[in-house]
Amino acid sequence: MNKWVLKGLKTGIKTTLYPDKEETSPGISPGLPQGKQTMGDEAQVVSRCPTQALNHIKDMISVDYRRCIHCFRCLRGIHNPVDWDKGYEWAVSIKEIDDASRMLGKAFDHSLHIRFVDGGACGACISEIEQINKPYYNIHRLGFFITPTPREADVLLVAGPVTDHMRLPIEKAYDAMPAPKRVIAIGTCAISGGIFGPSFASEGGISNLIPADIVVPGCPPPPLSIIHGLLLVVSRKPSASLTSPKSTEGERPHD
Amino acid sequence: MISPGDFFILFLILCSLGVVLSVFLPERRNPLLLAWISSIAAISVLWSSGNVLLYGLPFQIELWTLPFLGTMVLQMDRLSALFVFITGLVFLPVSIFSAEYMKKYFSRYNLKTFSVFYHLLFASIVLLLIANDIFSFLLTWEIMSILSYLLVNYEHEKDENTSSGYLMLAMSEAGTIMAAFAFLLLANGSGGLDFASLKSVSAGLGDSSRWAIFLLSFFGFSVKAGLVPNSIWLPKAHPAAPSNVSALLSGVILNLGIYGILRINADILPVTQIGMGLITLFVGTVSALVGILYATIRNDMKVMLAHSSIENMGIITAGIGAGFVFTVSGYPVLAGIAFITALYHMTNHSLYKALLFLGAGAVDSSVGDRNMDRLGGLMKVMPWTGLFFLIGALSIAALPPFNGFVSEWLTLQTMLQSAALQSKAVKIVFALCGAALALTAALAVTCFVKAFAMSFLGIARTKQAEKAIEVRRSMMIPMGVLAVSCLLFGILPTYIIPVLDHTITPLTQESVVDELVPPFFTVAKSDPKFSDAFVSEFHDLGAQTGRNVIPGRGLVVLHRGTERNPVVFAMSTSYTLVVLVLLLTGVFILIRVLTKARMVTRKPVWDGGVRRLMPEMTYTATGFSNPVRVIFEAIFRPSMLDERKETIAEHFRTAINNERKEVHIVDRSVFQPIVKWIQSMATLLGRMHSGSVNIYAAYVLISLVIVLIIQALL
Ligand code: SF4
Repeated sequence: MNKWVLKGLKTGIKTTLYPDKEETSPGISPGLPQGKQTMGDEAQVVSRCPTQALNHIKDMISVDYRRCIHCFRCLRGIHNPVDWDKGYEWAVSIKEIDDASRMLGKAFDHSLHIRFVDGGACGACISEIEQINKPYYNIHRLGFFITPTPREADVLLVAGPVTDHMRLPIEKAYDAMPAPKRVIAIGTCAISGGIFGPSFASEGGISNLIPADIVVPGCPPPPLSIIHGLLLVVSRKPSASLTSPKSTEGERPHD
Repeated sequence: MISPGDFFILFLILCSLGVVLSVFLPERRNPLLLAWISSIAAISVLWSSGNVLLYGLPFQIELWTLPFLGTMVLQMDRLSALFVFITGLVFLPVSIFSAEYMKKYFSRYNLKTFSVFYHLLFASIVLLLIANDIFSFLLTWEIMSILSYLLVNYEHEKDENTSSGYLMLAMSEAGTIMAAFAFLLLANGSGGLDFASLKSVSAGLGDSSRWAIFLLSFFGFSVKAGLVPNSIWLPKAHPAAPSNVSALLSGVILNLGIYGILRINADILPVTQIGMGLITLFVGTVSALVGILYATIRNDMKVMLAHSSIENMGIITAGIGAGFVFTVSGYPVLAGIAFITALYHMTNHSLYKALLFLGAGAVDSSVGDRNMDRLGGLMKVMPWTGLFFLIGALSIAALPPFNGFVSEWLTLQTMLQSAALQSKAVKIVFALCGAALALTAALAVTCFVKAFAMSFLGIARTKQAEKAIEVRRSMMIPMGVLAVSCLLFGILPTYIIPVLDHTITPLTQESVVDELVPPFFTVAKSDPKFSDAFVSEFHDLGAQTGRNVIPGRGLVVLHRGTERNPVVFAMSTSYTLVVLVLLLTGVFILIRVLTKARMVTRKPVWDGGVRRLMPEMTYTATGFSNPVRVIFEAIFRPSMLDERKETIAEHFRTAINNERKEVHIVDRSVFQPIVKWIQSMATLLGRMHSGSVNIYAAYVLISLVIVLIIQALL
């Protein structure tokens, strides 16, 4: 008799209870900077950010999650760090969420097929996506399934800045998917190109190639955030916001 | 009214006319002449044998009387008639096919000789089948063997063809000698050479001569039938032969081996030992399994089909073996069913194998290649050939509603009937053989999924395959005819089984048609054999649907058992087809209605997102059959010839070369040891020849002394 059966029975169910219950285990998420009311040394904090995710708007420091790469430089090693959000429900619908036409029908609620394409990711996002199919996160219990072929996929997960070589496969995979289809960008790179940005070898984010519907910020986003993104795509969870604090949503000095 | 005999004479006249005309007509006209004359000859012989088969009007022709050998008799009884009928059924489409197919040989090989040999072969096969005495049988057998060798070796300018032709000829002659010895043993003690007088004295033979006759005739004829271990010539002969000759080889000539086995061991000298049946069953099963295993891993279409012929001949022989065992154990009904099954499968095999060989020939003549690794995507350019090949593949893979299904299903059912036997050991043999045959059937599906999918689906792997064009209509029609017959033989088993039953009744002395096809359409009220309760039960199930409209006994194949187990097995492909068609159209209409409002988008096939899908990237025939190759490694036992790994830089490989050589299991385990033994004996004896005259003189002296001693002792 294989030992793993016994062991499994002995161990019992350890799978997370999210989304029915809040997941509170330590280390489940690295958290995100939240921005804060300025105290006077904002220039120092803002200048520490390597990706210009932090901005000083009015009397606040706002964070642009499309750019933050979780370097923790705005948290550690300074006197006056930004506020830190310990949550994980970060997925954002970047089209109008309440637009009924943008929602997948009721039929998809508990039957969603996912095709993942690695658009040149460093590996971090990939290992997080791997986790959602494993016992602790186990997306099968939610009715989500990874499928090998885009022909039967409803959702395309893309991680990485979309390198030159992966442009065509992603386009082809998207093209091969039957409508209605949705695209989820996983991680900062897929959202904005991250530290790679747009360049001769990189598209600088999936949105420059095909329209992304949902973005999951984080570098990498923890598995629960990805699950949140999937729940969001079938309207089982509400969306978060792209920038923080909320009052500065959508405003960016460069825009 | 013209009698079957007259039609037979017409056939002989036509064949000789064909021979004469093909000599005198210019080469260019020869293929057309061949098609016309031999198809008319085929029709006349079909008519003649069909009459015998259906109405049982056997005819007899006394050919000549030789002073010391007695009268030569030709007689077409029902067993001959069945084989002749199949011969005609295969020759008719193949002849039409040849008209166009042979054109590719124009100005390269002599078409006149082909035509002459073709007509002679046709005549000799038919004569062989109705020969009713040893002399004419062996004579026509020899003529047939040599002519088939000549036709197989038609492309004589290729060296490998010549060697495979010689192998064929040598093995066939060895088989003939064995069969001739069997006949001689039979003739020993009988007054004449005709089969009737052989039959009359056969009952008095002792056990040892019975065994000798059985072994000699079975293994002798098994060369022609292509049974393991005498099958090694077959996969070499087929690729050498032109495709129309291949169709004849598999569709007709292999049957002759079966005919020989049946004629001697079921008709003239019925087997009396259970061991003979078991040997037949075992050889058949092993042939089936070995045949299909090698068929699955071969990529040359015709080699694959050749191995699959071995498989099918094996299934037929297994059926015959089961029949022998049942006869000996005193179950004439089961024996009858087994013989019917075997003959049914043989008929089916002739049809679909001829179809597949013609299909392979069509592909070969239009693409110029038969290797499945280099074909692909032919369905787009050759849709009709593809369709017919698909029907052939479905038939041979035993999928309903085509003919292979009926006979393979019956074969497996026959194996299950061994439960009735007494001896535990025999039962175990049957169970193992049944399991092996089931495995064979499953592998056949793999094999023909591969054959069809790799050649006709996907994308073309070479330029030639891409540029292929559909063959001419005169090549398509014969394939179509065979495909339709495959379907008909599949959906109308209840009309074919009674005919086969007539054929085997003289052998088993009992008609079993009631046991296989209950007369649901014709049964009268209160029939003693089919009680009203029984009939009404099946009436409710729909077995009498179409009773007053459709002629015949019924459309259900059903074997009844005892009180406790009223139905042993039952099926009806005819009704299944109706239900299948209804369901399919129903589903089709339903889907049409349901999706009418839907938007349909058409996108290219998902190719894994590669930049450009190259033909080399697609699944190859070799890749498809690799699982079989790996699982049955113990049987194939390949030896690695070359395992080079080419590297440019230290860690990067540019290519891995893997060359393997496989020696066929029969070669490896039977023929190579024999050859080795003979060679070592020869070297041993070679030592005697030292070259010194004194020693030779001593040999002479020693032998003289030995002879004298023996003389003195006696
Ligand atoms: S954690 Fe994010 S916001 Fe903070 S400094 Fe690093 S990149 Fe900028």
